[in-house]
Amino acid sequence: MMARRCVLAAGALALAVALSGCYESSDVTRFEPGQYKGADDPLLAKLEDPEFRAQLDARFDGQRDR
Amino acid sequence: MARMKFLCDADRCIECNGCVTACKNANEVPWGVNRRRVITLNDGLPGEKSISVACMHCTDAPCAAVCPTDCFYTTTDGIVLHDKDLCIGCGYCFYACPFGAPQFPRREAFGVRGKMDKCTFCAGGPAEPGSQEEFRKYGANRIADGKLPACAEMCATKALLAGDGDLVADIFRQRAMSRDGRPQTWGWAKAYGAGA
Repeated sequence: MMARRCVLAAGALALAVALSGCYESSDVTRFEPGQYKGADDPLLAKLEDPEFRAQLDARFDGQRDR
Repeated sequence: MARMKFLCDADRCIECNGCVTACKNANEVPWGVNRRRVITLNDGLPGEKSISVACMHCTDAPCAAVCPTDCFYTTTDGIVLHDKDLCIGCGYCFYACPFGAPQFPRREAFGVRGKMDKCTFCAGGPAEPGSQEEFRKYGANRIADGKLPACAEMCATKALLAGDGDLVADIFRQRAMSRDGRPQTWGWAKAYGAGA
């Protein structure tokens, strides 16, 4: 009797584990034409900084012939 | 607002492939992928011209227009970047791009395409600048460090220019103006031209 209960419990556990593998996440990305829905790029905010821009422009200007 | 562009001065490019090597080294580009290539026209003939080609960071990028998952975004400076977490490796961008910039690593079985890889103007991607994750997915983020893209910075003859389109055009204009007045005591015509 005890052994049968153990088998049933093990079977129920196995069934629960197996069924959990069938879980499907409902958190999906719904794409819409022309809309970027990826992660934010921190560089975009940095490029707005005037001090950083000046540093970048100075570096770019260094490509002139000496 | 600036619009970041590359310009390769065909009169200066000596086909050394230093830009290609610098790009591969700086970004640890996957095997089989070239974010930048040097194309030579009339190779071996007098007057041959070489240009270095990569993503041109188009204003109206066709790759972004055809992407079914819209994984592309453009920075305020006009740098076209993409999110590899959204890319499904369909290859539409590869067919749409007139420069062959989008590339796909083939490291999986049955020739399955991996996530698209292309020149990022050394501006990384949508991850914390300088982070390990960003480097692994997109390569170096030199722009966040206030530097030029590695290819342009490495160019020995300064043939490859990078930066704001207005600045790049101004540099090239100055070169073109001074080029006409240059004494022809050296150069291709002297070495291989008539009477050589």
